[in-house]
Amino acid sequence: MFKVRTGAVVAAVLLALAACGGAEQTPDQPAAAGPRVLKLWHYEGADSAMGKAWAESIKQFEASHPGVTVKLEEKAFEQIRQSAGMILNSDEAPDVMEYNKGNATAGLLSKQGLLTDLSPEVTKRGWDKLLSPSLQTTAKYDERGVMGAGKWFGIPNYAEYVLVYYNKDLFEKEGIEVPTTFDEFTAAMETFAKAGTTPLAVGGAEYQAQQLLYQLALSKAQRPWVDALQLYKGKVDFKGPEFTYAADTFADWVKKGYIGKDSAAIKAEDMGVSFIGGKYPILVSGSWWYGRFATEIKDFEWGSFLWPGNTMSAGSSGNIWVVPENAKNKDLAYDFIDITMRKDIQNLLGNSGGIPVAADPAAITDPKSKELIENFNRLSTSDGLAFYPDWPAPGYYDVLVSGVQNLINGTKTPDQVLDEIAGPYNENLADIGN
Amino acid sequence: MKRSRRGGYWVFLLPSALLFTAVVVVPFLMNVGIGFTRWQGIGAPKWIGLDNYTRLLADERFWASFRNNVALIVAMAIIPTIIGLVLAATLFDHVGKKFGPRTAGALRAAYYLPQVLPVAVAGIVWGWIMHPRFGALNELLGLLGMEPRNWLGDPSWALPSVMAIMVWFQIGYPVVIFMAGLQRVDPALYEAAETDGASWWRRFWHITITQIRPEIYVVLLTCTIAALKVFGPIFVLTRGGPGGATLVPSYFSYQNFFEKANVGYGSAIATVLTLLIIMVTVFFLRIQDRES
Repeated sequence: MFKVRTGAVVAAVLLALAACGGAEQTPDQPAAAGPRVLKLWHYEGADSAMGKAWAESIKQFEASHPGVTVKLEEKAFEQIRQSAGMILNSDEAPDVMEYNKGNATAGLLSKQGLLTDLSPEVTKRGWDKLLSPSLQTTAKYDERGVMGAGKWFGIPNYAEYVLVYYNKDLFEKEGIEVPTTFDEFTAAMETFAKAGTTPLAVGGAEYQAQQLLYQLALSKAQRPWVDALQLYKGKVDFKGPEFTYAADTFADWVKKGYIGKDSAAIKAEDMGVSFIGGKYPILVSGSWWYGRFATEIKDFEWGSFLWPGNTMSAGSSGNIWVVPENAKNKDLAYDFIDITMRKDIQNLLGNSGGIPVAADPAAITDPKSKELIENFNRLSTSDGLAFYPDWPAPGYYDVLVSGVQNLINGTKTPDQVLDEIAGPYNENLADIGN
Repeated sequence: MKRSRRGGYWVFLLPSALLFTAVVVVPFLMNVGIGFTRWQGIGAPKWIGLDNYTRLLADERFWASFRNNVALIVAMAIIPTIIGLVLAATLFDHVGKKFGPRTAGALRAAYYLPQVLPVAVAGIVWGWIMHPRFGALNELLGLLGMEPRNWLGDPSWALPSVMAIMVWFQIGYPVVIFMAGLQRVDPALYEAAETDGASWWRRFWHITITQIRPEIYVVLLTCTIAALKVFGPIFVLTRGGPGGATLVPSYFSYQNFFEKANVGYGSAIATVLTLLIIMVTVFFLRIQDRES
């Protein structure tokens, strides 16, 4: 009885919906017949560099594909991160979507056969010619779902890296020049600390503090160490010189007052806002802050530079376009990706505060954006992108947050923290490919 | 004849029984099943028997999360019940009689407000209040000449801070329930006690508490369950940090389920939590039955 009633209601609602959306096509229609729809998902804000560039891409796509409409469904980063697997497993999958790069995300989905192998398209359309080797790492995954080799499952459209933002006014006030070596950098922080200012804005509750720790490890590291840690091409000694130096120095910086003793529970958002508010002279974080600083910092002059003395820095391609295995309009998806790689779209991305992967350097006119992109190119050409510390294992992010919080609060010695973060990494190593 | 009459009522239970099966029973059984597997959320689950449970029993973080949970039961069930009793009696007796029922009603609504606010909003505001450098709380303490503290970021203060916020969150609920309960109590009882010269405290202890005992059980039971399930405030305020100092089982389960792609392990934690909640519920209902 009850069941029959709901059935009738559902049917009535469906009829009503069908009456409203007469132009809506059934998704299973053959490709050639009638109007088509490209279902697109991404999670970039409309006023971000990517948001602007992709809005323009949609326009161009619709102009060059008469009879096709693009149905953009804006998602939240968290939404995609937590439920992508389940959605892609159903027939609700979009035709093309932005997805997080890395072993625990795109790698995992590729291993499960949920993503389309893009290799033939890559060769056909020459996307591989546009992407530098270190950008290609996050686009390819092997049969274990490990990045860096194997088939192409995604196409990065932009890039990102960790750099040093600084408040020019506060630097001038203390008479400090932009540091070019690590020693100068430390000396600058010492000057601020002596003057009673905590030099570094740190967010211990989220990603930022662990990236700072990683920058310190990278200052003592070579490429093989990164390959071992991130691509499992060898054994990583967590008590080796790289991590030991990082943990010891981090703890030392807390002691010296370069890192606030009260920064363990600060979220990234609050950290960024405090820099925007001129409360801290230095913020070490990703290029994703760039556009926001450009629009929101009004009261002082600011600039950015690469972490002094490092040949490598945390950074990688941005998130990638993937085409779900269950996508119904793969041909349209490839066309759309191709448009986002065009010079004019890439230039727009660069002039909007993003880091394009295939722009024309001469077309970037904004001086600040030029600086950001030039620094990125310097890293990229010297093979200096070292990915992110939380990538090697699923859920490693939380492990690192907890470890770095213990460093900030002094609840564990650097040595104990290294043990804390080594455990889950090695556990995951045993699971690779299972 | 009588039997067929009784049978007629079952029809009315059918819709909710169907819903209950679809929304609660089936997912719960699936969850129990997944708890015996190794699964990343996609692909085929791999049967591993009791491995998740043996791992759980040896997992220091799991036990730590339960210890923290006990603290939250104190903060969300026991303290609010005690404060709620005193507040309800005060509002009912003094404020209601001296200033009229309107004032009492307004105050009751004010106490209830935190229950109405979305957790996410309230949590973020509390995060600002407790910000170590720019927070209102430290400013206030500074004016009183006290040391600023890192309320949510210092491992020894994070849990007490969260507990204090949870008391604030919960307080309105017992007040409302107890005030409703007090409406039932026969005023003659109070009058007789007053004529015999019993003090306010004695009347509170012997009449108020004994008369609204059923409400007290209901509040304790529902708040204990809420405390065992607590997720939102932890997620918004501390994410279980710093260094696991405020980790609770529900957030721990979520972490494994969604962040670490250990769906099997997350399910096992959720199953243990569910069994615990069922045990607590049965325990409370037993006591209540015996009382009545």
